[in-house]
Amino acid sequence: MNYHFDWTPIWAARGLIVEGLLMTIAVSAVSLAFSTVIGLVVGGAATAGSRAVRGLALLFTEMMRNIPLLIHMYIWYMALAFLRLPAFSCAVLGLSLYSGAYVAEVVRAGIGAVGRGQMQSALATGLTRFQAMRYIVYPQALRMIAPSLASLFSQLIKDSSLASVIAVGELTYQAGAIDGQTFRTFEVYITISLIYLVLVTAASQLVLLIPGSRSDLAAGRFADA
Amino acid sequence: MPDVIVKNLPFLLHGLTLTLDLSVWSIMLGTLLGLVVGTVRFVRLPLLNTLALVYVEFIRGTPLLVVLFITYFALPALLGYRTTGYRAAIFGFVLFIGAYLAEDFRSGLRAVRPTLIQAGLATGLTRWQVLRLIILPQAIRRVLPSLFNQYVRLIKFTSVASVIGVTELTGAGLLVNAREFHPVTILAAIAIVYLVVCSALSLAGRALYAHFAVRT
Repeated sequence: MNYHFDWTPIWAARGLIVEGLLMTIAVSAVSLAFSTVIGLVVGGAATAGSRAVRGLALLFTEMMRNIPLLIHMYIWYMALAFLRLPAFSCAVLGLSLYSGAYVAEVVRAGIGAVGRGQMQSALATGLTRFQAMRYIVYPQALRMIAPSLASLFSQLIKDSSLASVIAVGELTYQAGAIDGQTFRTFEVYITISLIYLVLVTAASQLVLLIPGSRSDLAAGRFADA
Repeated sequence: MPDVIVKNLPFLLHGLTLTLDLSVWSIMLGTLLGLVVGTVRFVRLPLLNTLALVYVEFIRGTPLLVVLFITYFALPALLGYRTTGYRAAIFGFVLFIGAYLAEDFRSGLRAVRPTLIQAGLATGLTRWQVLRLIILPQAIRRVLPSLFNQYVRLIKFTSVASVIGVTELTGAGLLVNAREFHPVTILAAIAIVYLVVCSALSLAGRALYAHFAVRT
């Protein structure tokens, strides 16, 4: 091993790294919001009474989940190029649809785990179906699936690195740029993987915001979806 | 429009075989690595346990693309060896999937009831025999669904190898597209192939699990 470590170019390029980090956070945060909405809607639809609605929800999740994220991004960026979407929107769309399908699966499992009696008694007290879902079923389901959501969200942040291939200037993209200018390959990639590690660890704590999830989370911080 | 596909079919099929080849090698070696690391974490071997923990946490906090850049650019530069895109991709995939599988195996091992371990020891088996003959067989049956989830995830992730210049299915498709420029047809065709392969594997996983499920 006669590799000479030289971390000074990394420090000199800190502006680019911070810029990339902010872009990674932006892409992830917007996609996280969209995929949560997609997950809640499609996951709810997957437990609906109507067979057609359930079938559509199932079709959506299976199609979105079984296509690689990279292909999702290329489809928005290249195949649907006539839409002239900026790269940022392509990344967000791809990431939201892909992760949304995973969130939907988890939400569906969570709703299934809430006792049937909860829904029935909610309806019996005179709540509408929507109210019963909103006030009775979803809060309990979310609490149960908090650990899985945490791991999905940290996966989403890591997956956002693929946005670099469609030229979104996020962390991995900037790392490639710095590597190209300085040739400090090892230092650059170790630095950004440590940044991702911190980011992912911090973000997996986000689900603590779900009321009542704190106690369950201690048990399965890294439970996989 | 589909003539683009027909015309380039041999090249695309070659890409598909490369995708399957990458997946099979990574799945086999990755499962082995995951099983070893998961067992080390379960048995809590003194120094190895810490090493395994660092490895698992590092990989699980790093995007696959960055892992591939490390095995393709950074490690060869650091250690002074030459590599190819294909080898770096397999190395990266094995490291990546191994960390996730290790956690799955560990949780499967922990789910085996401790009374069975005590009973095994009481009948005079050694600790190693108890692990190999009693705990592991049950743990593996229990973790089958998560294993297949990870395998399906890996097949999709092999598409990322195109970024380091491996002409597997995605890479081949992008090359064909660069020459012919029919992005809609080509990307749709590739997406359908992935859809079929991944759905087939997850169905196979479900069938296996139904066959081997631990009935309690």
